[in-house]
Amino acid sequence: MNENENNFEALRRLLTLKRHELPPPGFFNGFSDQVIARIRAGEAGNVRTAVKRVSGTSWLSNFLQLFEFKPAFAGAFASALCLLLIFGIVYADRPDSGPQPFLTNTDSSGASFATVTPAAMPSENYAADLMASNNPATSLQPVASFLGSESAFAQPVSFSPSGN
Amino acid sequence: MIMAEPATITNPEPAAAPVEMDLVRQAQRGDLAAYDELVKRYQERIYATVYHMTSNHEDANDLAQDSFIKAFQALKSFKGGSSFYTWLYRIGVNKTINFLKQRKNRVHMSLNDLDFNTENNPDLVALISDKTPRREAGLNELSEKLNAALLKLSEPHRVVVVLHDVQGQSHEEIAEIMDCNIGTVRSRLFYARQQLQSLLADYLKPT
Repeated sequence: MNENENNFEALRRLLTLKRHELPPPGFFNGFSDQVIARIRAGEAGNVRTAVKRVSGTSWLSNFLQLFEFKPAFAGAFASALCLLLIFGIVYADRPDSGPQPFLTNTDSSGASFATVTPAAMPSENYAADLMASNNPATSLQPVASFLGSESAFAQPVSFSPSGN
Repeated sequence: MIMAEPATITNPEPAAAPVEMDLVRQAQRGDLAAYDELVKRYQERIYATVYHMTSNHEDANDLAQDSFIKAFQALKSFKGGSSFYTWLYRIGVNKTINFLKQRKNRVHMSLNDLDFNTENNPDLVALISDKTPRREAGLNELSEKLNAALLKLSEPHRVVVVLHDVQGQSHEEIAEIMDCNIGTVRSRLFYARQQLQSLLADYLKPT
């Protein structure tokens, strides 16, 4: 090893030149101050964030910050929102009034729906028809018929005279 | 002023050791004044090590500051298994190596600040004496060539040669800082010197 040290003696002396390389004058005077200031700034930044979180400017920003720090809370909130939406859709499909019996005549005259001829229905029981036609669950006229497709209720009829 | 004058960095004197540990404990409790004292104690050595590895004052400034800040943030994990300065050196060296790995385009330093003592150093004067092949080379040029040669070494080899031949640390200390065994340090140092010798052959005095 000593032989190696001797072989590199010139190089080692050359490397001592590195010790004479200097930073800018007065560099170390404020070095520690800068380090401490950066540490304080980092700590102050955290405190500021915490203070802002506690007494933030708006409840919405605080609420959104909860999502940032607690992803599970965001998932729970989204699930609750979805459940609320599904219940809303289900209950919105129900009629506003109580359940009505299918094809029940509400006319006060006492004439039953079965005895009323189809041609006379619009004129004689207009309110009930209107309600029935507006309610997709009880409507006698399927929506598909409006689109031109054949429905189970509308079948082609031939009026050819019998006996011919 | 000679920046890296504390070339023989050994363990702090026994009398100062307890004081250092006291400062560390106070800093662990968040006492910034105590940590300021620790920064002042090691700022030149950490800066010099980083600078000799990067050959750039701005990078060395940023990395040295980052090292001290990271050390403060990780201070609670310091259990005292090694000395504080070894632990601090390890942070600085690792941070610098990571930085150098990320920095693809290596910027060579512009050396314009050799101190006036350089011309009075007999060893350096001898290097550019009559026996030197390129006696016309000035000290600045020599320094630039030296830095360029150092930058051609890999980071682990550069660390070893800087810590040993420039900073004057022992093989054992370097092994502790780099978290490797002494044999690795010796082989890296030998290889690094070989590389430097071939790169700087024109500037070395024939033996």
